[in-house]
Amino acid sequence: MPFPLPQSIAITGAGIVSPLGRGWQANEQSLAADRTAFKPVELFDTREFISKTAGVVDLPTENLFQRIPAHKQVYFDRGTRMLLMAIREALAQAGREDMEGIDAMVIGTSAGAMSLGESYFEHARHDAGRDPAQLSRAEHYQPQRQMSSIATEFGWRGPVIIVSNACASGANAIGWGAEMIRSGRAKRVLAGGYDALARLVFAGFDTLHALAPSGIPRPFDAQRDGLALGEGAAVMLLEAEDVRQSAALGNVAGYATATDLHHLTQPDPAGKAAIRTMTAACAQAGVTPAQIGYINSHGTGTPFNDAAEAAAIAAWAGDAVATIPVSSTKSSMGHLLGGAGAVEAVICLMALQGQWLPASLNVREVDPAVRFDLVRQFRRSTLDYALTNSFGFGGTNATLVLQRRSA
Amino acid sequence: MNVRDIRIRGVGAVSSAGWSAAAMHEAVLAGTPLPSAPVVRPGDVRTWPCESRFAPASPPEKIARHPRLRRSSAITRYSVAAALEALADAGHDPAAPPSGLGILFVMMNGCVNYTGRFFHEVLQNPAQASPLIFPETVFNAPASHVASFLGVDGAVSTLLGSPNSIMEALDTAAFWISSGLVEQCMLIAAEECDWLSAEGLTYYHPKLTASEGAGALLLSASGDGPRVSEMIGPLAYLSWQERCDLLPELASQTLAHLQGPATLINDRTGIHKLDHAEIAAWSGRPWDTVLSPKYVLGESMGASSALQLVLGTLAARQTQQPVVISMPGTNTAAYACVLTP
Repeated sequence: MPFPLPQSIAITGAGIVSPLGRGWQANEQSLAADRTAFKPVELFDTREFISKTAGVVDLPTENLFQRIPAHKQVYFDRGTRMLLMAIREALAQAGREDMEGIDAMVIGTSAGAMSLGESYFEHARHDAGRDPAQLSRAEHYQPQRQMSSIATEFGWRGPVIIVSNACASGANAIGWGAEMIRSGRAKRVLAGGYDALARLVFAGFDTLHALAPSGIPRPFDAQRDGLALGEGAAVMLLEAEDVRQSAALGNVAGYATATDLHHLTQPDPAGKAAIRTMTAACAQAGVTPAQIGYINSHGTGTPFNDAAEAAAIAAWAGDAVATIPVSSTKSSMGHLLGGAGAVEAVICLMALQGQWLPASLNVREVDPAVRFDLVRQFRRSTLDYALTNSFGFGGTNATLVLQRRSA
Repeated sequence: MNVRDIRIRGVGAVSSAGWSAAAMHEAVLAGTPLPSAPVVRPGDVRTWPCESRFAPASPPEKIARHPRLRRSSAITRYSVAAALEALADAGHDPAAPPSGLGILFVMMNGCVNYTGRFFHEVLQNPAQASPLIFPETVFNAPASHVASFLGVDGAVSTLLGSPNSIMEALDTAAFWISSGLVEQCMLIAAEECDWLSAEGLTYYHPKLTASEGAGALLLSASGDGPRVSEMIGPLAYLSWQERCDLLPELASQTLAHLQGPATLINDRTGIHKLDHAEIAAWSGRPWDTVLSPKYVLGESMGASSALQLVLGTLAARQTQQPVVISMPGTNTAAYACVLTP
């Protein structure tokens, strides 16, 4: 369904932490080198799982929260720490040191601080007696408490909206942030998403046989056999034009969301909801499919997802399909779940800024359902608009259209 | 358009008092805490008291039949029942929901029964953990099931947060309606209880009694029904002390909009340590009636503020007086609102 209000929203800062690197520059260099980032998971025991690798973020060891005592840092989830790093980068890019003047944070996550919930569970199972430390685990398991810690770090007191639409959470958060500005309810919004690897989630995808046994995802390959999980965070500082104080990196030009009722975990084979969101987001942006210079696909590498998305792109693009470059950056870093939509939106912004296209890696033989221009190697290009798709468990679909901006 | 232009067309509720908003209203008006029962700890004996007020078993006429609901957990069943009641309350045929309907779902803990069960299986033997259960652990599974049941294929979103995050959802629903994204919005906040969440509450205070349920509000820009004439907040805080310190400001801002007799629906649990700041904040004026749903029903976490709003809607209809709802929250921000008949 479209949000019908036309008005581009300026992106004045962006931050990204992914398995490919911490920060814009590191990610850009990795994407330009067609690098993949999969390695054995050491955060939990993977011996009983089919897949044993993932896109793991190399987090710094020092305390990231400067205003919170060191002994409390143990209660900050990996995902929250990644998000804090991404926020700092986005603010710095916009020439800011703090969050003063930001009206709201809209953050997407699928699992929140799941590792703390796991810890709470394990302690509860093993200890019949009262364990006072359980209070901190229960408290910090709540994602709003984690976000409150970030607010504390900046001395900021504003509303935090936490969107949890599974793998579409990050894209929906950015879309909502943009719509809050478009509607006049806010002037500046920090929006993005995050998720960290967690044992429960890893096990869940493993039980579904959704993970590639080799650990290598091959989106849009004819013999693809599953996804790889990853972790990361990304945020954008979105501003209304009349309050913008620094150079715009790009615009959020269009956003749409819809619900696929086909199945809890499997997409409609024709991708009908995806067609609706791509159509509506482009209508809001005022562009045709032929004007889209790059699509960062949801492209998980599972047989069902990629077939449905390929069908949807073909139906939506019509005659223009063969000319539209498409790739899945999940092929290089894995599926970042609640962080995926935000990270992939920032990658689109980087592509628009740098005038390049990131690749779909690991493809041996292209699936016959693919009728678009599958980008198999990093390449230079000329593009004014990029589109990114995010589809989640539960059927939430979201599409963002980003626009290049020179100043 | 903002939240003031939105009408609450219909309400529904499942709570420890029963499977209807009326049952909850009656219990809260009576003012006596509902009976609680010890929460069983699987495979172990707890060394401290932990009680809960569970929702009673579903009456047969409240069992909704749909393929998605066969293995859905309690939180989804509560949500579907509350949503159907809200549709009927608004004059819609629940079997044919109105077109242009959106869904905003709010929760704090979510699908804890399946999550606990699945993780237990993972710890026992990951290779035999059930693939059927995992999708039901995802936060937005209940919203997806409700959407499927009602045939809503447009905007459907799940928000996480403190119990009073329902106010952020209310604000978002107003925006969705004003922007034309949806014509009406079903706002649902729900929670299910398990031994882990019940124990978790006892760490906040030994006498805090867990509960569960769902509150649903059908919102529209047109038609009859009480409206949220004032929304105060978020007044953000970063500690419990800050929370206590800003509640007088929350009350002061709210009371500035109020004249004449009114009803107060507060967040009182019956535990002085948790309640005293809120009670003091709202004590500066006489109230016709003061209702304390948590004291009667128990702490239903993410569902509790929605149940307050459902109760407020019924009170506004019945008394034709304004209703003030105090939602101080637990760990991020405080809200209050005024419902006008």
